[in-house]
Amino acid sequence: MNILRTLRLVPLVLAAWSIPGCGPERRGEPHTEPLAGSHDESPVDPADPAVTRGHHVFSQHCHQCHPGGAAGQGPAINDKPLPVALIKNQVRAGHGAMPGFNDEEVNDDDLEAVVKYLKALRSLDERRG
Amino acid sequence: MSARSLRRGAVTFLFFLAPLAAGCYSISPSAGGGQTRVGNRYVNPGDVALPPGYRIELVARGLTFPTGVTFDDTGRLYVVESGYSYGEKWTTSRLLRVDGDGGTTVIATGENGPWNGVDFDDGAFFIAEGGHRDGGRVLRVSSDGSRKDVVLDNLPSLGDHHTNGPVVGPDGWIYFGQGTATNSGVVGPDNAKMGWLRRHPTFHDIPARDVKLAGHNFTSDNPLTNTRGDQATTGAYLPYGTPSLEGQVILGQTLCTGAVLRVRPSGGDVEVVAWGLRNPYGLAFGPDGRLYVTENSYDVRGNRPVWGAGDVLWAVDPDPAKALWYGWPDFHGDTPITKADHYGAPFRDRAPKFLLAEHPNEPPAPVVKLGVHSSSNGIDFCRSGRFGHNGDAFVAQFGDMAPAVGKTMAPVGFKVVRVDVRNGTIHDFAANRGRQNGPASRLKKGGLERPTALRFSPDGRSLYVVDFGVMTVDDNGPRPRERTGVLWRITWEGGQ
Repeated sequence: MNILRTLRLVPLVLAAWSIPGCGPERRGEPHTEPLAGSHDESPVDPADPAVTRGHHVFSQHCHQCHPGGAAGQGPAINDKPLPVALIKNQVRAGHGAMPGFNDEEVNDDDLEAVVKYLKALRSLDERRG
Repeated sequence: MSARSLRRGAVTFLFFLAPLAAGCYSISPSAGGGQTRVGNRYVNPGDVALPPGYRIELVARGLTFPTGVTFDDTGRLYVVESGYSYGEKWTTSRLLRVDGDGGTTVIATGENGPWNGVDFDDGAFFIAEGGHRDGGRVLRVSSDGSRKDVVLDNLPSLGDHHTNGPVVGPDGWIYFGQGTATNSGVVGPDNAKMGWLRRHPTFHDIPARDVKLAGHNFTSDNPLTNTRGDQATTGAYLPYGTPSLEGQVILGQTLCTGAVLRVRPSGGDVEVVAWGLRNPYGLAFGPDGRLYVTENSYDVRGNRPVWGAGDVLWAVDPDPAKALWYGWPDFHGDTPITKADHYGAPFRDRAPKFLLAEHPNEPPAPVVKLGVHSSSNGIDFCRSGRFGHNGDAFVAQFGDMAPAVGKTMAPVGFKVVRVDVRNGTIHDFAANRGRQNGPASRLKKGGLERPTALRFSPDGRSLYVVDFGVMTVDDNGPRPRERTGVLWRITWEGGQ
């Protein structure tokens, strides 16, 4: 019975994952201001070199389909409160239309940096509402 | 748990699994920025979001398909109007002086558009004449417009992409881009839809250097005949209806497609600076002496569609002795387009195969990859502390032309982005306010429509942005609107 109860949660988990992916294209104003100094309450330190590194990696691989984190060819990712593990799984495996990026394209350190950058983007969006 | 609740759970599971399996991209309709109906354009600078401390104002309006901006040696301001727009709209190409009140004075005209960009040096304007009718040219126009000379002609500019963006280098040479005839190397029905294949049925791409073909051919319904069921088979770098052979060598020519070339202001020999570029549109020399080039990348159309290829910003060594191949038609940036999950449309097409049996060199890494279908066009560098972001590149993004170029889940482009070329990062700089991106007409606002060129003023205080105006797009292609173009000026209060 416990297994069945757990199975009943699966649709909810999938819903939490899939609905944001098809959600609105952007929340808030365009990000014309720098990340640094714009989100004091963020758990991410904008001065962290990993955020800049993540921005660079994002500009090489992710920006094409998610310009500035907003929707474009793909859905918006600047407003998705996804767990880190799901973000990494999405990048590595690719799901739906998104291609997967192997560790030759985005190594583990760069993937960590991208996650930090995405958190910084999201916190900026949340602050701006 | 009852059987009924299990069934209900299964239905719910499948309901949510469906979008996951298909992906949001597949179940969403295309939502490009031009896929809208619009009324008259109105202009409101307050609808444009800028970084703190910057302001934008209107300089001139009512322009028809403007594509370039420059200044003469006394600091007076000029724009060029293209004279041709996608959608097969022909008007007169014009070089206009913009007066203080926003009025304009005609300096020169032409009938062989599109005029794609202008620069000024040593008492004369240099214009890239796209030459959709008679072939591409580089023109030299005296400062008062009394004399117009052809610096270079017979450029292969009769296809999808044209002669673009002249810039006079620090060495005095004129550098310009020559776009390709096709999307990805093979003439097809999409080129008939663009309009040119019926006018020039034997036109095709030309490489800068000899290339050996893999021999792949593509068969499509023949748009050049009225015979039902008639089909044509076409190979790379060949006229429509001409198949290729494995190992076939296509001879290179200096006056090629898909390249950055250079010529002296007085004319004469032409040199290849870079090749294997799909549509090298915007050119600007950076503070580091390199030539930065925006490349409009592949579309999802024609005999050989390529999905998911963002526009590319390249840093090019301007020395022709070091001219490299930059990957078209087999690479996107430094990535081969044979990667199925990256470049084959989801759940439909297989990834393209290489057209070339051998590649001239491994393409270098680009500076950044910009938005897919963003039409990242004009580029200039800030060289002054009077504007901030000294040393950064600014890029005007015309915006997507979905669904003609492929599908997007949301409008892409329609803004000005800043690129820190030292660390390879992209930042929004000027974009329409609001919770969604897109051209002002779609957002029912008065901000940016389709930024397509930009240039800093000689004093370094102002960034002038050329806004092409309204172009909607539907299943029949683009529908540009005359007299909706705008010239904007952006300044920084910290630099006054």
